[in-house]
Formats: sequence, C-alpha cells, structure tokens
Amino acid sequence: MTRDVFVFVECKDSVPRKASLELLSVGRRVASQFSSGLFAVVVGSGVKDAAEMVSGYADTTVLVDDESLADYGWDTYGSVLEGILKKYEPMLLLGTSSMTGKDLFPRIAVRLQAAMISDAVGLDLEGEGIKIKKPLFGGKVISWLAPKADSMVIVTFRPNSFTVGNAGDKGRIVQEQFTAEANPGIKRVSFEKTGSKKVDLQEADFIICGGRGMKAAEHFVMLDEIADLMGGRTGASRTVVDSKWREYDDQIGKSGKTVSPKLYIGCGLSGALHHIMGMDTSRVIVAINKDPNAPIFQYADYGIVDDLFAVLPALKDELKKTREDT
Amino acid sequence: MKVLVFIKEVADTEARIIISSDQKDLEIENKYTVNFFDEFAVEEAIRIKESLKDVEITVCTFAPPRAVEALRTTIAMGADRAFLIDSRNHESDDPLIVSRILAGFAGKEGFDLILCGRQAMDDESANVGPMIAEFLKIPHVNQVTRLQVSGTGTAEVQSEIEGGKKVSEISLPALLTTQKGLNEPRVPLITGVMKAMKTEIAVLDPVAIEIPFGSIDRETSKIAVLSYELPAKRPSVSIIEGASPEEKATGLVRALKEEAKVL
Repeated sequence: MTRDVFVFVECKDSVPRKASLELLSVGRRVASQFSSGLFAVVVGSGVKDAAEMVSGYADTTVLVDDESLADYGWDTYGSVLEGILKKYEPMLLLGTSSMTGKDLFPRIAVRLQAAMISDAVGLDLEGEGIKIKKPLFGGKVISWLAPKADSMVIVTFRPNSFTVGNAGDKGRIVQEQFTAEANPGIKRVSFEKTGSKKVDLQEADFIICGGRGMKAAEHFVMLDEIADLMGGRTGASRTVVDSKWREYDDQIGKSGKTVSPKLYIGCGLSGALHHIMGMDTSRVIVAINKDPNAPIFQYADYGIVDDLFAVLPALKDELKKTREDT
Repeated sequence: MKVLVFIKEVADTEARIIISSDQKDLEIENKYTVNFFDEFAVEEAIRIKESLKDVEITVCTFAPPRAVEALRTTIAMGADRAFLIDSRNHESDDPLIVSRILAGFAGKEGFDLILCGRQAMDDESANVGPMIAEFLKIPHVNQVTRLQVSGTGTAEVQSEIEGGKKVSEISLPALLTTQKGLNEPRVPLITGVMKAMKTEIAVLDPVAIEIPFGSIDRETSKIAVLSYELPAKRPSVSIIEGASPEEKATGLVRALKEEAKVL
C-alpha cells in the first residue's frame, strides 16, 4: 500500500461537481502531511475535459474514458474503480456521500476490505493519522472516528463540508484502460431525467426553504425567483412535500436531504426538530416568521419577525441590488 | 418465494442523548422506533405477499434484545417470522462487520429477495444494504420508489439515481433498498398486534451462525470511535428590527453582507 490520497471525481453533464473539488482541496492537505501524491480519478464517457479541469488540483489524474461508461452503474463503474485501486493501492480514497457515492463505495469497500466511514463533515490531521468528524442522530451528537491504518480507507463526505481551494499547476493525466463489467442481473429499461434544476440541493451554496407558512404551492414562485437570482435552490419542509406543494426532491430534514449551504433562509417554518436536523450545519441561518416564538429562531443567526409575504418582495429587491453591485 | 427484510431500531427524534463525562459513550433515552426507511421495506414485503402466492416474510435485525419490540411491530404489520441477532459483545460501528453478520444470516436462511431501508436515521451511513449484496454476490438497486415482482424470478424496479429516475429489470435473487414514495406503510390492526404478542422471536448468537465472509471479531474492526461531543452552539439569534418589512429586509441584507459576509 502506498501513502497516496485518491479522490473519486463525480461529474454532472461531463463537468466535475463542486463537491469533488472540495475533496481535492482537503485531499491536498492530507497528501502534504504525508508527503504523498494526490490523485484525481475521473471515470465516464466523454470526460477528457473534466479530467483536464481537475488536473489543476491533483498531482496525477487517472482517467478512464470509455463509451461503456456513458450511464452510471455500480457494476460498470465499480469494476473500473476496483481495477484502479488495486493497481495504485492508495492509503485513502475520498468520495462524496451522494446518491452515487452511497451506491458505489459500500461495494468497493467489501471488495477491497477497506475501512468505510460515510457521510462525514470534517477531517483533522493528527500525527500519523486522520480523524473523521461525523454527525449522529441528525446532528445532535458529533462523533470523531479514526480508521485503523492497516488497510485502505474510504471516507465519504457531505457536499459543502470543505471550501474549494485554488487550482495550481496542471498535473499529469494518465489514461488507463479497465474493462467495465456489467452485471448480467440488471438491465436498464429506461431513464427519465427529473428535476431540470441546475443546482443540486445538497451542493447549493444558497437555499431558501419554505414551510407551512407559505400557505399554497403557487407562493413558492417567490422563493424560486430568489433562488434563481442567487444561483441556489428552493427547499421545502416535510409538511409542504406531504401536501404536494413541492416534490420530495426538495425536502430538507431527517426524512429528506441533509444540507449545509453557506446561507439558508427559512420562510414560514416553525422549526420542527426533524427539519432542523437536516439543515443545522448550514453556515448562516436566517428565519423569517411572523411568530416570534417559533422554535426556528432558537437555531437561527438572524431573524425577521414579520409577514413573509411582505418581506420576500423587499428581500428579493435588496438581494438583486447586491448582485448588481458585484 | 422468500422475502428477507433487514431492519434497524433507531433512537426516536425526540429521544434525549447524553454524552458520558469521558466522551466515550452515549446514553440514549429508552425511546426507540423502527427506522423510517425500513418501514417501507416491511410494507413492500407485505404487498408482495398479498399479490403473489406462497410468499414468506422473514424480518431480521442485528441489535440488543430490546429491539425485539421493533420486530414485533413488523409481525403486527404482517411479517411471518422474525429473528434478532444479538449485537451485545459485538462491534456495531463497523459496517463491514454488521454486513458480514447479516449476509451470513441471509445465506443460511435462503432468500429470493432482500429488502431494507436506504439508510438508517441515526448514522445516515447507507452502507449495509449494498455491502450485504456484495458479500452475497447479488445485484442491488438503491432508493427504490416502485417495485413489480413478476413471480418468474425477475422484478421491474424504479429507482432514484443522480439526475433522474431509472427503471431496471433485475433478476432475483437481489437486494433492494427502499425510499420514501414506494408505499404508505400500514398501521398494524389489533389482530396483528395480538398475533405479534404471541409470536416467539428467536434470539441468535452471531457466533452460532457460521459466517463465510470473514471475521466478526471486534479486534478486526477497521474503525475506532475516538470520542463524542456536542455540536458547536450558535450564538443567540439577532432579530433585525425595522419600521416596515422593507426596512427589515434592507437590514438583513446589510447584516449578511457586512457582518456574516455570506453575500
């Protein structure tokens, strides 16, 4: 086993995801500590440009570009990633705890008998090893875990766990050939693209989230406008999704998605615990609610106590001005 | 057809959790519930039984004996048999070990289909499902939102993947993890509850299951828990005052820009 650090780069429409660049930035910190190499792994079809893009963050970019990898599958991507890891024998593999990450890495961990720590939010260097920060019970408790050093370690992180550093000099790109082995037990019948939303909810820097206080589905257009303006996403509470005002894809909370944007604005949300558990790692939380006793104010950094239907248009105008200034 | 359902009993959202003074242990208030996503797995197994003939539903958990209650809930819903694999004196923080044990049980018990929730609400790790499938060398589909089992050894599965929804045809045996939207889990009827009270739930020692997938000794765990701590607390909220909603909005944006520096 080497001391090298690998990052599995996820692409969306052949562009590396921001979450993967975050991992390359933290991976750089680890690789410097261990005086080892930082490798980016780019797997897919038509991903040469993506490899080019991430090569500024890694010493070496391992690229497998093949038509058989056009559609993601744990079987095909898994066999390629397994081949890469067995050849290069890294000490550490970092990935995102995305839908893909949750599908792919557990199987890889079994094949390589690797230590697996998932859905982490932080990493500390400690002497000869690493310490992983992982929230439990919806963030009520933080645990610190250490992988034992005698095997490869796979750690997946939530998007927005780290900041993206600057790209440096371009590292080398090594093109590899590994056969994508499809599992004969699964046949893809069809694929329907959903959520044409540009930004992934978990990757968004800005989220404006609506609760029951939004009163009706059509009022969410006010939130969508602000989200678009800010290049972010609209979120929703469980009640809102259960009332079919928004899709489940938008749900933030314990039974939905866990998010940690730079700025989270909650509108007409009471602040039920299961919702808080999905967003309390956000950097800055703003609550807008006409009830000064709403529990959400206990978790917020800033609050406005007023009618959200009067506040939101004014907020949109103010945010627009800021965007125009910069 | 044999359907196996793996469930986990998790602390309720409202349960109080206390960190020990040496930060090495957690004391969890005795409020537990069947993991939210596992309820869809149990419900789906029952629906398969209702639509096909000769289906047997076995539910299993790797947990301390108190989780017998969670298993009873699944019997009350309509599962046929339930087993508890006693986790006391065993490692439950390393998903590889937990998966070896559950895969070992599945291998011994036999199955055509394994269902479990897409992730547990307590650690949100989402590892055990695909890991079991890998140990058993069977295909899996994560985040299933629609399932049609044919009865001739295949199933049509709709699932959520990055960017959309996929429909796949899968050959059994296979493992599926269940996502919200698959079904509406039923509330047990009183007759079900009565049956569940009388059902004997076997408690198994993991060592007694001959597990062919590697060691389950605590010493072979690849993960050490160093410590637990409370999350950093936010300072108390700063309420933006103003004579009108417009003034408040202006004040907020100014604070976000100048103080919080997030705009």
